[in-house]
Amino acid sequence: MSNVLNWQLGREMEYPYEAAYPDQQFAFVFNTNRCIGCQTCTMACKSTWTFSKGQEYMWWNNVETKPYGGYPHHWDVKTLDLLEQANPGGQNWGGKPEDVKAPYGKFNGKTIFEATKTFIGPEGANRALGYLPTDEEWSAPNRYEDHPVGNEKGVKGQYFKGGELLPEHKTWFFYLARICNHCSYPACLAACPRNAIYKRPEDGIVLIDQERCRGYRKCMEACPYKKTYYRGTTRTSEKCIGCYPRVEGKDQAGGGLPMITRCMSSCIGHIRLQGLIEMNKDGTWKEARNNPLYYLIHVAKVALPLYPQFGTEPNGYYIPPRWVSRPYLRQMFGPGVDDAIEKYSAPDRELLAVLQLFGKDQRICHRYEIKEGPQVFETEVRGKKFAMYNDTIIGYAKDGTKIIETTVEEPLHLRDSKHANSI
Amino acid sequence: MQLRYDEDFIEAAVFLCASGRRKGVPSLQIARFHREREKLYGILDPDERNTAFFKLHLDWFREWGLELPLTDVLKEFPLVREQLGALAVRKTTGKNDEGAELYVNETGQRTGLLALRLERLTHDAALRDYLRHEFTHLHDMLNPAFGYSPVLDLPGLNAAQKRLARERYRLLWDITIDGRLAAAGHTPMQAREQHAAAVARGYSFWPEQRQTETFSTLWQTKAPQHAEFLALIADPRGLRDAHRPAPGASCPLCDFPTFHWADASVLPSGMVSRITAEFPAWSPAHGICNRCAESYEALTATVGSPVALH
Repeated sequence: MSNVLNWQLGREMEYPYEAAYPDQQFAFVFNTNRCIGCQTCTMACKSTWTFSKGQEYMWWNNVETKPYGGYPHHWDVKTLDLLEQANPGGQNWGGKPEDVKAPYGKFNGKTIFEATKTFIGPEGANRALGYLPTDEEWSAPNRYEDHPVGNEKGVKGQYFKGGELLPEHKTWFFYLARICNHCSYPACLAACPRNAIYKRPEDGIVLIDQERCRGYRKCMEACPYKKTYYRGTTRTSEKCIGCYPRVEGKDQAGGGLPMITRCMSSCIGHIRLQGLIEMNKDGTWKEARNNPLYYLIHVAKVALPLYPQFGTEPNGYYIPPRWVSRPYLRQMFGPGVDDAIEKYSAPDRELLAVLQLFGKDQRICHRYEIKEGPQVFETEVRGKKFAMYNDTIIGYAKDGTKIIETTVEEPLHLRDSKHANSI
Repeated sequence: MQLRYDEDFIEAAVFLCASGRRKGVPSLQIARFHREREKLYGILDPDERNTAFFKLHLDWFREWGLELPLTDVLKEFPLVREQLGALAVRKTTGKNDEGAELYVNETGQRTGLLALRLERLTHDAALRDYLRHEFTHLHDMLNPAFGYSPVLDLPGLNAAQKRLARERYRLLWDITIDGRLAAAGHTPMQAREQHAAAVARGYSFWPEQRQTETFSTLWQTKAPQHAEFLALIADPRGLRDAHRPAPGASCPLCDFPTFHWADASVLPSGMVSRITAEFPAWSPAHGICNRCAESYEALTATVGSPVALH
């Protein structure tokens, strides 16, 4: 085991391999507040990569209804439970948020790598604590769709009074879109007995070498997000490839510029923003104040990692849903949840502008600049002043090509009167 | 009888051992299994490769004693071994898809199909109990004295009633199976009390004494018969022979169960003629539900001179 810096945990942690970071890291932000669970992303991925024989149960991208849904069933609850068994009562956070090395404070518990030293999981001793889901757990990808949960017991035939009011709805659910997090410390990579899994040095995308894989399924067991899948027809494991040909700029539609993945570009709710993050030698992010992802994660801190306590340093980040029970969200996204929701509920001028970048172009935005516009609206959000300015945000690709120019206020397009009533 | 295995089932079963989920498999053997398996990835021809994998997995399936429960329990069922041309074992994902089925082709060749969830293989004793239960199903289906028919002959029942009847059939059959297994000193899938409670639920409209007597007879029977089950499932409330429409019985015209019967004694003669034109066997004594009465009332244009039907 080596000691590596996991900035999401605010401390060093044990990992089976020496730290090694890519030049750039594939990363993304999903805004759960905007997701309507339409599964367009799911089908975009399915129809691009996993439509062949043997891939029937493979959903590299899935959208599940939380809290009950999950693919495979209860993947998160099961791993959280294993960690709790390994470290009863000790899975908690402490310390104060600091700089980019500890933005959420310090995690005092055990990660899936550290827990293996003192706890043997259901599949025996391994490099990462995990379990192999059963066939039944893989059988229904959208189980419990739209099933809500209530914080208090309701009365038959009656609505909760004020149940729809923020800060927390009395009954709630939300959609959680998931792909491989292309973790900085992938558990799948750590667990593979064949060294068949590798992290690309150019963009941090985690891939399975199909020539080396011998179908041990250790990756499926170890990945806490359960994002690797076994294919019976080839007897190898497969996983999300981050649409790497598009990220490399090989898709003609991008004119040679790096493009976002199929799931990101197909999102009709514009919940997704993908980027490439430049890395420091110690595994932290190079300061890039005007990179939209850097801004959302390290400056505004509205986007948070999914289950950071697992310890894999996932590169998928989520803007948490505003209406959901806070203890549940803290368990899922860590201690930064309250501040993130507070900030998102009444966004400042810059955040509101950056949120307009989501889903605006298929090419990866590396940098943005904002041109200030007039104030167009003012109100109060739960006692906090909120002013909206019709700023213009301009996004640039890595080579400086202008790829996005949009305003905060949506433009109004009027159809010429000569077309009136014609469709 | 030939024992056949589905490729997926065999592979998943040996991986259950290799991943440590079935206890007692030596780690050195697991390492050897993986070494042997790795070599097969070098076979380029896909068919040859699949055959080689199947053979290897089957060898380890046997080596790790996964076949033993099947062959051992089958020895207790000579009729199944004699009558079946083959018994195919396949993997299933959900509880509801598990179980044994009998297939008969045009030439009369009989094949049994056993669908198992992989988790069954983690505990030998429980697997053996389950296999005994399912093989008894097959035994009954193959036993001429049982008189099995794949189609439930239940004339006069609508789709919903047939589904309910099938559920009752399953319940009664399982009771007789578990009763026989318990009598033979084996562990039944469900305890006597659980089955008794299921009968009380499924036949809640019977007096308690009849529930108890029927259950005891079923639990103790050594030679159940398909026909006996049919008699208990088709019309357990005896509504078919009711002299007058009973609450919950089906309307003889629309076939829907109803608790709202029209007063058939005051039907206008025109309406009765209209109904008998379409249902010659029907007479007002058979009854008519409110909805059908309304429909025929409209059809015979008696709306203008209403009669107190309801």
